[in-house]
Amino acid sequence: MKTTIANLRKGEKAIIKDFDADIIPLKLLEMGCLPGNTVQLLQIAPFGDPLYLNVNGSHLAIRIETAREIEVDCITK
Amino acid sequence: MIQDILTYLTLAFAIVFLVKKFFFKKKKTNKNCGEDCNCQ
Amino acid sequence: MTKQNINVALIGNPNTGKTSVFNQLTGLNQQVGNYPGITVEKKVGFCKLAHNINANVIDLPGTYSLNASSADESVVIELLLNKNDKLFPDVIVVVSEVENLKRNLLLFTQIKDLEIPTILVINMIDRMKLKGISLDIPFLEEHLKTKIVLVSSRKNIGIEELKTAITTYKTITTEACLNASSIDDDYFNTLRKTFPNQSLYKLWLVITQDVNFADLNRKTLENESFTKSKSELKKLQQKETIKRYQFINDTLKTGLNIDSSIATDFRSKLDRILTHKVWGYLIFFVILFGIFQSIFEWSKIPMDFIDSSFASLSTAASENMPPGAFTNLIAQGIIPGIGGILMFIPQITFLFLFISILEESGYMSRVVFLMDKIMRRFGLSGKSVVPLISGTACAIPAIMATRNIENWKERLITILVTPLTTCSARLPVYAIIIGLVIPDKYLLGILNLQGLTLMLLYLIGFGMAILSAYILNKVLQLNCKTFFVVEMPNYKLPMFKNVMITVVEKTKAFVFGAGKIILAISVVLWFLASNGPSKDFRNAETIITSKTENATLSKVEIENKIAAYKLEKSYIGLMGKTIEPAISPLGYDWKIGVAIISSFAAREVFVGTLATIYSVGGSDNDNTIRNRMKEEINPETDQKIFNFASGISLLLFYAFAMQCISTLAVTKKETNSWKWPLGQLVFMSSFAYIVALIAYQLLK
Repeated sequence: MKTTIANLRKGEKAIIKDFDADIIPLKLLEMGCLPGNTVQLLQIAPFGDPLYLNVNGSHLAIRIETAREIEVDCITK
Repeated sequence: MIQDILTYLTLAFAIVFLVKKFFFKKKKTNKNCGEDCNCQ
Repeated sequence: MTKQNINVALIGNPNTGKTSVFNQLTGLNQQVGNYPGITVEKKVGFCKLAHNINANVIDLPGTYSLNASSADESVVIELLLNKNDKLFPDVIVVVSEVENLKRNLLLFTQIKDLEIPTILVINMIDRMKLKGISLDIPFLEEHLKTKIVLVSSRKNIGIEELKTAITTYKTITTEACLNASSIDDDYFNTLRKTFPNQSLYKLWLVITQDVNFADLNRKTLENESFTKSKSELKKLQQKETIKRYQFINDTLKTGLNIDSSIATDFRSKLDRILTHKVWGYLIFFVILFGIFQSIFEWSKIPMDFIDSSFASLSTAASENMPPGAFTNLIAQGIIPGIGGILMFIPQITFLFLFISILEESGYMSRVVFLMDKIMRRFGLSGKSVVPLISGTACAIPAIMATRNIENWKERLITILVTPLTTCSARLPVYAIIIGLVIPDKYLLGILNLQGLTLMLLYLIGFGMAILSAYILNKVLQLNCKTFFVVEMPNYKLPMFKNVMITVVEKTKAFVFGAGKIILAISVVLWFLASNGPSKDFRNAETIITSKTENATLSKVEIENKIAAYKLEKSYIGLMGKTIEPAISPLGYDWKIGVAIISSFAAREVFVGTLATIYSVGGSDNDNTIRNRMKEEINPETDQKIFNFASGISLLLFYAFAMQCISTLAVTKKETNSWKWPLGQLVFMSSFAYIVALIAYQLLK
């Protein structure tokens, strides 16, 4: 099974892999969510959604169904 | 007499103001919709 | 020597302190929108740069890029593409923030492509040390091909340098800093050949989005043979974004250095508490509760003061001016009318004060994050919280604030239900009725009953909004691709100057926007109340004197009876009497009926109307309006008109009825259809009638 942002644990960091550009809104790309950039899951809202991320230095929140579309490689410490 | 004239003047002014405000507003049509759906 | 006037456009991502820079440049020399409820579209301020150069500074809505994904952002593009707009900028100032420079520069590189002189402001440099950030300015200026000004709008650093840079804007190169067209050379070459006189990037913007600009129409582009499919265009836009980020990353590798060991972790600690599953909601609720309690508690004294001052002013006017119709108009129409407006300044000021503090501090985004999942159950978005909360000030800017909701269905539902939240125009109505029918007592020693009732009314408004959203979500059949991105800005201490400017601006908009309407309506009402069509009106003195010949009444009592009789036979009395059968099941008399008719266009007129009616109807001028209303008795039932049952019924009627023409106009504008505002009007008003009817019949 592929790993996505939705699978990350709180505090975990990962590198964004290639994703299907048609599904991801352009705005997210413009905020720095691009292949090769690092992403860290900072907080999970009550009831498990949305997710609060640090992407490439930008702090933003996205819904879990968007997060499921963004494949990542975990950085193992 | 002068009091009556002033009263009617004020009244006329107020009515003109209200009519202008509510019936002759500039109308702009603008398509301000999100891009993900079609709105009429 | 001629005076020179230049246009300066301020552009930047949200949360970069762009508005602070704007405020520092222009102070209070600002002009905002054209609505009584303040538009957010374009703000223009004036700034003297040198003794012969003045600038019109345009504060544009915050945007992340020139690819508009919301209505708010297309305002920016439309201005930048239209050379014929009289506000078309001579120079653009892109405001960025030192901590998010990477993301901020994306917009900058796009703007650079427009071939307009561009200055880059890096704001919040006072935080650089704290965050361990250092910048290589000469390197950045060379690679970004711009003039960089370091600014701290909070500490007032760099504003003079910015003014100098704007004055000398002609020295800045208009060359782009990267070649975006290399993402698809063939395509862009064809474009260049077909439209040799147009800027390539402008063409690209027009092709990819729903905008036109003066000398180039979308339609003519679409008919050309080189059109690409939507999906192909989107792929290209992504390629463009990636390319721009590559350039930015490369540039910042040398230009920006962050020593992360220095950065403090205040933010994540606060985030953990404010978005906690228990504490988060508790804190949010306590903040809301505190706001509503203080609005009522703190404004009590100034409100009473204004109310009684205007009562004595009215007496003084009628005693000291020559008797006649105009004196009466001033003493009974204009003075109480103005008093009725000014009385609500304290409450409105406090409300806007709290809202702007919540927005400035960055807390609002945490609320969005916290509430999204819950709001989605009702067909709303977490971002709907902001319109719903600012709807407590005024539905008009609140409906405009829905523009950043990406999903059209969620946005439409938010627009439709926002007018149910308790706006500040309802506050005067609530305040006066609560004051009349709810005892000024304390529950458990601390909770003021009147404040509690007010809080309850706000909750009912929210509750109804949420419930309607739930129903609408089930009923409306719209399929939208949903996505949601919200920036979580860093926490900031709200800047006193920014908060104050917002408060002053919004209060002014209420006083001069809504106030003018209220005043004009009071003048008309006074006239309708002091003139009548029939003989009965003119002969009121003789009729009453002959009726009361046998009774022993004092002179004042007879005068009061005459005045009351006159009012009943006046134009307005007849209007009120006509609708009385429809509203008496709700517990209202014809005087309240008059107030309801007149407040149809704008609900805040209700209090002014009652003030006018009760001023005309009584001869003892030194009594305040509130006392007169309190003593008002229904001749048929011998009960007070404003009793608990009719009071609650009135409160509920005003909570739900759609009585605001401006809101209907804004809904029409934002949804581009008459269907939705008409639906709001019919549904809300009939619902209000039914609820008020049930409440009165149960309580009486």
